Amino acid sequence: MLYGARAIYLREMLILRRKMIKTLMASAVSPALFLLAFGYGVGRGAQVGGVDYLAFLLPGLLTMSSMNQAYGIATEINISRFYFKVFEEFLLAPIKRWEIILGETCYGITKGFIPVLIIGLYSLLTGVTLKFGPLFLLALLLHLAIFALLGFIAAMIVKSHADQATINAFLITPMMFLSGTFFPVDQMPLAIRAVASIFPLTYSTQLIRATLTPGAELNAWLYLVLVAILAVLFFLAKRIVAKVEI
Amino acid sequence: MSCADALSCNQRPCEIEVAGLRRSFGKTVAVDDISFNVGQGELFAFLGPNGAGKTTTINLLTGLLKPDAGEVRYHGELFDPKRLNVKQLIGVVPQHNNLDRELTAAENLLIHGRLFGMRGSKLQQRIYTCLEFADLTEKRDTPAGKLSGGMKRKLVIARALLHQPQILFLDEPTVGLDPHSRRKMWAFLRRINQEQDCTVFLTTHYIEEAEALADRVLIIDQAKLVTGGTPQELKAKVGNYVLDIYNEEDIQNEFFEQRPAAMQRLEQLDTSVRIRETTLEDVFLKLTGKRMD
Repeated sequence: MLYGARAIYLREMLILRRKMIKTLMASAVSPALFLLAFGYGVGRGAQVGGVDYLAFLLPGLLTMSSMNQAYGIATEINISRFYFKVFEEFLLAPIKRWEIILGETCYGITKGFIPVLIIGLYSLLTGVTLKFGPLFLLALLLHLAIFALLGFIAAMIVKSHADQATINAFLITPMMFLSGTFFPVDQMPLAIRAVASIFPLTYSTQLIRATLTPGAELNAWLYLVLVAILAVLFFLAKRIVAKVEI
Repeated sequence: MSCADALSCNQRPCEIEVAGLRRSFGKTVAVDDISFNVGQGELFAFLGPNGAGKTTTINLLTGLLKPDAGEVRYHGELFDPKRLNVKQLIGVVPQHNNLDRELTAAENLLIHGRLFGMRGSKLQQRIYTCLEFADLTEKRDTPAGKLSGGMKRKLVIARALLHQPQILFLDEPTVGLDPHSRRKMWAFLRRINQEQDCTVFLTTHYIEEAEALADRVLIIDQAKLVTGGTPQELKAKVGNYVLDIYNEEDIQNEFFEQRPAAMQRLEQLDTSVRIRETTLEDVFLKLTGKRMD
């Protein structure tokens, strides 16, 4: 059962195993720089929403970095599709097309856990207490599945590597900066808040931050919002992959 | 198109029937209303210059592209890529060596086997057998990216054979190989056809390849089928013997069914002339009016 999805996941994990050190380093460097620049540079001693800025920033960095890793499957699929043509193997195999989505999404989720370990380590080093409980895990899974699916969809709709870079520039980068990673969304101008409200990262950041921060108020509706986004994206991905040709 | 007439499949039971296949990309027609049959166990060559529509045809036959019109049947059953059982019958060797470069030779086969629902000792046994068949046993644990061009090609073929397909599609199997490796590959493809009991459908733009390998050849040019038959039949269509008549600016060809007739004509000419047997290149030139470069 689901042998296609499992085969694709196995393939991705075998490749990830060989580039694990590079992936770990890439996952560690970017949040460390943001931590230094924003946490110790701009926000030193500041309070946001009643907590120290570092305690506000670390969950945001976790959400952003894990999003980057999960969404990053877009580039990998893109390369395997347009350059190495390995994606043809999936299309030729006697498997349902949605199994490709499932295999790749599970891989994106797995990759998204790598920055979680790194941010966990940073929280120990900076003395910020984060609460890694089951509610956090559930929120994280939904968050990673959403961005892995977004990455998959992006890889399916683009026609070249250049298109991929355009999507990153117009979607992922604005999302990183406007969805409450570094600053609370409610402190932004109205127009920015309106833009932020259409980004899934806004909701997952809010939810993950609430589940990680001891004593923070948790809005359970956000889980439903993420489930709804996930369902819509899966439906979209299924429709798109059904039409994909080489 | 019906395949009731077994002769249309070279006196064999019909394995593939193609009828009225058409596909265009924007305003460019890549495959234009082509129909043909392939018999079970045949080594079938699809010959044509670059850009003739060979790869598009393979992609249509294997479900990687959807046709604008026409149909494909395997064993008489209409091909629908959504029906997974038909895909089990097919092995595909694409023009590019689409291997996972970071994975070892054995891992590349492992993933292919898993994608085709194989597992456990049966899969391990097939990996061993296919690597052995392709003379790659010693390279089992070598990353695919570190293999030579010829070895990569063989690994792609071994991968396509792993799930024991009944039909093997090869798109330009020897492109990029040196002449020595190309001849070794021909012997390898013959072994596949004979020992693996596999119908082989290959595309090529190398005339000598089609001539050396194929039971039957179909010539395609500018998206349309030109002619088809065994190499002998194709040559007989234009004449088994050809005179190369060397003029000041070019070489003219005259075709003859019998050698004496060609000899008689040769004696009438007072220019430089050569008599030789017809090749598929001559067939292509005669029927399309151009050389297959």
